[in-house]
Amino acid sequence: MAILKVDHLTKTFGRFTAVDHISFELQEGEILGYLGPNGAGKTTTIQMLLGVLTPTSGEVSYFGKPLAKNRQEVMEQINFSSTYNDLPHRLTVQEIMLYTSYLYEIANRSERIQKIREVFHLHKLWHKQIKELSAGQTTRVGLAKALINYPKVLLLDEPTASLDPDVATYIRQFLLTQQEKFQVSILITSHNMAEIEELCDRVIFLNKGKIIADDTPINLAKTIQISHVTLMITDGMKRTQEICNNQKLSFKVEGRYITINLPEKQIPDFLKNILEKGIEYSEISIDKPTLEDYFLQIAEKK
Amino acid sequence: MNPNRVYAIILRFLFNFRHNLDQVFDAFYWPVIDLLLLGLTTSYFAKQSTNPSAILLTILSGIVFWILVWRAQHELTTGILEELWSRNLLNIFGSPLTFAEWLMAIITLSLIKAIISFSFTVCVAFILYQTNLFIYGFYFLPLGLLLLMFGWAVGTLISGVIFRYGTRIQTLAWAGVMLLSPFSAIYYPLSILPPWAQKVALLIPTSYIFEQVRGLINNQSLDWQKLGIAFGLNLVYLILSVIFLYRSYQQTLKNGLLSVY
Repeated sequence: MAILKVDHLTKTFGRFTAVDHISFELQEGEILGYLGPNGAGKTTTIQMLLGVLTPTSGEVSYFGKPLAKNRQEVMEQINFSSTYNDLPHRLTVQEIMLYTSYLYEIANRSERIQKIREVFHLHKLWHKQIKELSAGQTTRVGLAKALINYPKVLLLDEPTASLDPDVATYIRQFLLTQQEKFQVSILITSHNMAEIEELCDRVIFLNKGKIIADDTPINLAKTIQISHVTLMITDGMKRTQEICNNQKLSFKVEGRYITINLPEKQIPDFLKNILEKGIEYSEISIDKPTLEDYFLQIAEKK
Repeated sequence: MNPNRVYAIILRFLFNFRHNLDQVFDAFYWPVIDLLLLGLTTSYFAKQSTNPSAILLTILSGIVFWILVWRAQHELTTGILEELWSRNLLNIFGSPLTFAEWLMAIITLSLIKAIISFSFTVCVAFILYQTNLFIYGFYFLPLGLLLLMFGWAVGTLISGVIFRYGTRIQTLAWAGVMLLSPFSAIYYPLSILPPWAQKVALLIPTSYIFEQVRGLINNQSLDWQKLGIAFGLNLVYLILSVIFLYRSYQQTLKNGLLSVY
């Protein structure tokens, strides 16, 4: 069942079209990656999905009901967290949770706040003002706020940016648990492609306000033909570079290691070629294309 | 109108008030300074007149009644400014909160703070000058309500301007209603103003109200017709300013809330 339906959504600012007739659906319990280079229209879309930016045309519907006509009912069941948004900096974490719980009319207020405090390990931060917290701690509080109302849909704009790796891992696991246990549908933007590959069932790629791809992370990565071959050259680094230049292959040298980008099918011939030229290497690793490669390809085209 | 959501916003600002020394100063410090400076100056000059207590009462009444206008306007505008400074607009308007609930919360909060500041200043005036400002009795209610209404109308108008143009014109939050204070004839009779200013004052509800306050001090009865004019003007201004604020909010939604930061 489609929890969120976006139908020909468009937003223009003067002559600039930030989001251009995009349509997609978010299914119940699905985690959807919403990716694209800076300025692609991701945050603009999220603002329209939150009802804080009026679309120029098109429609957003949650649970089969248009957002514009059912705003209150819909907003009670969704929530968001964004790194582009702050929290009141003079308020303590406890105060933020308390006023937000009234904003979303949480029935079992004390229990829920207590639970959120435990899940997000907020004990030590509880009586601190937001202005006293680090960027990562503020992000964690923002995520805690986003989950206070048992949301059925979560909109997350760069949710783990600025978090320490261990906390980011914990948050990813937490999101996956929310998805599995409560069938929460999540739309997430991130510049961390590994995170997207780990979390998302499906990915939408946006460029210049238009959807240019909509598929699973694995399928999108497969569309990239280039693999990365890394060799530790023990003899003949200069000759290896000459071969790459002659064959017009891009490469990167780091000390005795060279990473060459080339189509997967050409790898055997390339290795045979360097052996014939008397080049010696002691280590080899071949990395298949990832979502990051797909992202970089789009960013380069931009 | 959902009372829980209105309470949430009131709570958010009460928490903020607790941590913000600036707001505590606004609520208590400046009214006391006004009372001391204007009160002592008036006491000195009043000694040379035939009715010093009436003169002192006129000035002190002006100070404490003007607090209602000032607090009503100031709380409304600093309410929106606080959200802009905290970059908190997305959190509140990206929730089930409606625009009407937000406005109701801010108005309720301004009412609470205006009453606290007013009561505090009245008590300080009594302690410093042994002047009983409770003499207005029942009349305080219509006079106070009309002053609050005007403060809300101006505050709503300025909030609309801030919604459209952001913090770059935030000085209006402090300057706002003060621009109209000379035409309000707070401390002096309307007849003192130059003829052109008297015509402007006819459009300012507070000018009618402060004339009535002075009338009560001089043992005259309230002119309900004049208060009716003040109420009518207030109502028109309040309706127009709420429409303007709502349109500014809609414009902000069209341009993006982030664009006002």
